[in-house]
Amino acid sequence: MIELDGISVQVGGFHLRDVSFAVPSGGYALIIGPTGSGKTTLLEAIAGHAALRSGRILLHGRDMSGVPPERRGLGFVYQQYHLFPHLSVRQNIAYGLAGRQAGRRAANGRADELAETLGIAPLLDRSVRGLSGGEQQRVALARALAPRPTILLLDEPFASVDPTTRHLLRRELRALHEREGITTLQVTHDFDEALRLGDLVAVLADGRIAQSGAPEQVFRYPNSAFVARFVGTGNVLAGVVERAGQGDPFAARFTSPPLVLEVVAEREGPMHAVIRPEDIVLSRSELPGSARNRMAATVARLERLGPVTLVHLDVGRLLLASVTSASAEEMELTAGMRVTIAFKATAIHLV
Amino acid sequence: MARRASLSQIALAALGACLVLFIVGPLLRLLLMASPGSLADAAADPEVRASIALTVFTATAATAIAIAVGVPLAFLLARRDFPGRRLVQGLIELPVVIPHPVAGIALLLFLGRRSVVGGALAELGLEVVSHVPGIVAAMLFVSAPILVSGAQEAFRGVDPKLERVARTLGDSPWRAFRRVTLPLAGRSILAASILSWARSVSEFGSIVIITYNPKVASVLIFDRFTAFGLSAAVPAAVLLLLVALTVFAVVRLLQPVERA
Repeated sequence: MIELDGISVQVGGFHLRDVSFAVPSGGYALIIGPTGSGKTTLLEAIAGHAALRSGRILLHGRDMSGVPPERRGLGFVYQQYHLFPHLSVRQNIAYGLAGRQAGRRAANGRADELAETLGIAPLLDRSVRGLSGGEQQRVALARALAPRPTILLLDEPFASVDPTTRHLLRRELRALHEREGITTLQVTHDFDEALRLGDLVAVLADGRIAQSGAPEQVFRYPNSAFVARFVGTGNVLAGVVERAGQGDPFAARFTSPPLVLEVVAEREGPMHAVIRPEDIVLSRSELPGSARNRMAATVARLERLGPVTLVHLDVGRLLLASVTSASAEEMELTAGMRVTIAFKATAIHLV
Repeated sequence: MARRASLSQIALAALGACLVLFIVGPLLRLLLMASPGSLADAAADPEVRASIALTVFTATAATAIAIAVGVPLAFLLARRDFPGRRLVQGLIELPVVIPHPVAGIALLLFLGRRSVVGGALAELGLEVVSHVPGIVAAMLFVSAPILVSGAQEAFRGVDPKLERVARTLGDSPWRAFRRVTLPLAGRSILAASILSWARSVSEFGSIVIITYNPKVASVLIFDRFTAFGLSAAVPAAVLLLLVALTVFAVVRLLQPVERA
């Protein structure tokens, strides 16, 4: 279990301010944030490479503040892997096993076992120079796992490999995590990765945690315009909320020129409306149903993303709607076409 | 376009060739002037042999001291940020800009019997001025900056993240230094040590002031030149040149191959 209790760190130009976050034992959590948000610094602080200005770090309930990195019992994989260039693949993997009671035989056995699992057995006696990105990644992972850490810290582990390898590695890593039950904290700038891998996600912005929770929760209910934009929830509109009048106490109007939308709101004032593209229904004819917001739109562009097609709509400003690629074909959607769109007042998330 | 480019290239090559000739010319002339017979005589001359042995011994001692105290300092300068780091950095490079006779006079004043430090050393039985330790002191003064800056470069070339990885894999700071930093920086530090050693061997200006006798090779060559003229100085000069060239070749071989 990893617990960060109000930690503040300053390393060079990076600040972390009052970060609190917990990863349960055996959990897989992701910290996401844009470049420069302090993600790597956070991992280095947990590993003991950066001194805390305040707060505590607890690993498995034990206060680790002031404990040197070699006695924290965790594995660390950097984005650029940082394999030891003067050692062979086998020596890299067995690095953390040298000088232990186990001895050389056991170290070699563990290196073989991990190389087998990660599919790098044929590389064991090679130099690490000249390995491909994916191979280096596997060696770095094996090296971190060899001493059987109970906690694994990963710094953008898939950023430097090609997309095919990335998908493969993600699946392998997730399987490895499930088998070994290591509490894992990974840093990424890619929310898609968080959705696929994590049980838990925290969005880091400017050295603070902007929001944390289950990935699906954060994606569906971002708590700020920043998080909504960053996790790619879709449509984020700035505007003002006003009471709609008597009757329903929560019925309200959201104005974001030229759009005026019916929303459900508990308070008034300037806010952002977040509308997920899949919550916007699209039709070539009049739409039936009870959706309170409906309007005419022009298809500006179609963006095909595999099974889903993102429809860029012009309603006096840009809105994104997503439809299955099959129904896009069926409706024969093309740029310039006039359509009707509709979405429920409850589909608009105000932050 | 192509013609202009090639013209400018010819001009650059011509300028470069002038400098190369200027360096190679005198050395070749010196090598050609010594007959094999006179070289053999010089090599057999007990005074020449003693001076070369003394030079090699003192330069090795100065380099050993420079490594012992300079490598840890270089590591600190390369890795840690501490108050006064820039000042220390500047001070360590200071000897490079000091004319060598000036360094010799400064050392003489600092280490002479009548100074506090020299007096204390004499009390302990260590005579510096006009003795072998004076030679080592002068060599250390002029060569330590080369070693420290070379070792600093070597340590800067090792990514601190490699050390951090070693730490999370269970290494103490010292163990990480021994297993990762030193093997990766070692070759460059060795090259810097040899360069620093060569600098010691070639030193003359400060040694001639602090310890004229016993004579190191450069002082002996100067002595023979002033006392007996060119022909007496040449064989010893060629021998010293050969020693220097050998060291140079070794350094070039040790230099790490540039990575793309």
